[in-house]
Amino acid sequence: MSRLRLLQRDEAPLPARTIYAADGSASPLKRSLANAPDLLETLLPFLGQIYDEGAVDLATKELVVVRVSQLNACRYCLAAHRPLALECGVGPEQLAAVCDEIPLEVLAERERTIIEWADCYVLDPAGITDQLVARVLDHLRDDQLVELALLIGATQLLNHFCTAFDIPPTA
Amino acid sequence: MSARDTLATAVEEGRCGDRLWLYATYHCNLSCGYCLTESMPGIANRRTLSSGMLIRLAREARELGFEAIGITGGELFMLPDAAETLAEIASLLPTVALTNATLFTDRLLERLAPLADLDIALQISLDSDSPDRNDALRGPENFARVERAIPALLERGIRVRIATTVEDQTEAELARLCALHRSWGISDDDHLVRGVVRRGRAELAGMGITPGPTDILPELTITADGAFLHPFGPTVRHGVTDLDLLVSRQVLPLERAAERFLRIVSDQPVGTDVARNIR
Repeated sequence: MSRLRLLQRDEAPLPARTIYAADGSASPLKRSLANAPDLLETLLPFLGQIYDEGAVDLATKELVVVRVSQLNACRYCLAAHRPLALECGVGPEQLAAVCDEIPLEVLAERERTIIEWADCYVLDPAGITDQLVARVLDHLRDDQLVELALLIGATQLLNHFCTAFDIPPTA
Repeated sequence: MSARDTLATAVEEGRCGDRLWLYATYHCNLSCGYCLTESMPGIANRRTLSSGMLIRLAREARELGFEAIGITGGELFMLPDAAETLAEIASLLPTVALTNATLFTDRLLERLAPLADLDIALQISLDSDSPDRNDALRGPENFARVERAIPALLERGIRVRIATTVEDQTEAELARLCALHRSWGISDDDHLVRGVVRRGRAELAGMGITPGPTDILPELTITADGAFLHPFGPTVRHGVTDLDLLVSRQVLPLERAAERFLRIVSDQPVGTDVARNIR
């Protein structure tokens, strides 16, 4: 049971109604965010850019999003992003690995290094070493690492939001 | 274009009113059956705007080009500093303050004396010339208190308007009510008669009319919950504020809320509120 009102389109604030589809549907996350329409003006374009394909390909991004959501035990984001990751080209075995269902060793070196860095970024940012950054930069440019760092930040924001307010996963 | 210019254009085109409404508090000593905001003595969330906040909003409204202030609730005079706040606001812009006029002790009337020199009207609710009929809608002893308060205010030179909310009153009953306010020296121009709006507690009770999109003139309305499209927006059902007419959560600076309000107003059809007199 959500701890926030999940607003239907006709009960949502007027400026927030644009986030609903023509049939009035919207994800539970969006329906909860509609309570604060002012923030949507900047939040949704920001999230859209962060989660869309940018300097980093979508498969890598979704792999990281699922991993971060797994570390934060976010039921909502895992339910939303596991299928999305598969659609974006993440293999079932890779997905199982970042969800701790099988060892991370099944990942290719690039993905394994990125996930190792992402784990540190989430769990122990002060513990990130120059060596780890150098290793991850063997696979990514500086700007791509920045993009992944912001992606992790945005995912943590949503993980905490959805978990703290018990936003129900979309059926 | 600045918010001030946009507001002036929107007012000129008839897209919105030039009055800023402020919900001072949702706390009330009455519990009327048609109340939009479920206001009552024991209300859990009073949603009160402080005196400082009300005055700041009025000051910023003047800077933005609003021509008038409306203050409503709840009952404004549940707030201990209401008289002084009203005087301050009315010194900034012409003001109408809605009240049930049941809390006007001699001491409070004394504190209201400065209002006589300001451009302010107290708009007092009175629904029938019959004490029984009026009190059935508005609570015990309401008529008697209003009947005492109105002459006392008028004697002190404070302008009074009467607002009648119509549900099932007959023409004859309204005619008697008009005769009563005229006997106090209140002209027909200062008597407002409007229907119950089917929102808030009235909706739960199946009372009133559902206004169409052009029945109510948009007027920026500020409450502790945010900024709304008009004063019939921030209604409450089962303790929860309706958000369907919310235009902004942010109310300070007022210019930010006004910009969001004007963005919505510019997309809406030009309306008229004369048909149903819902104000």
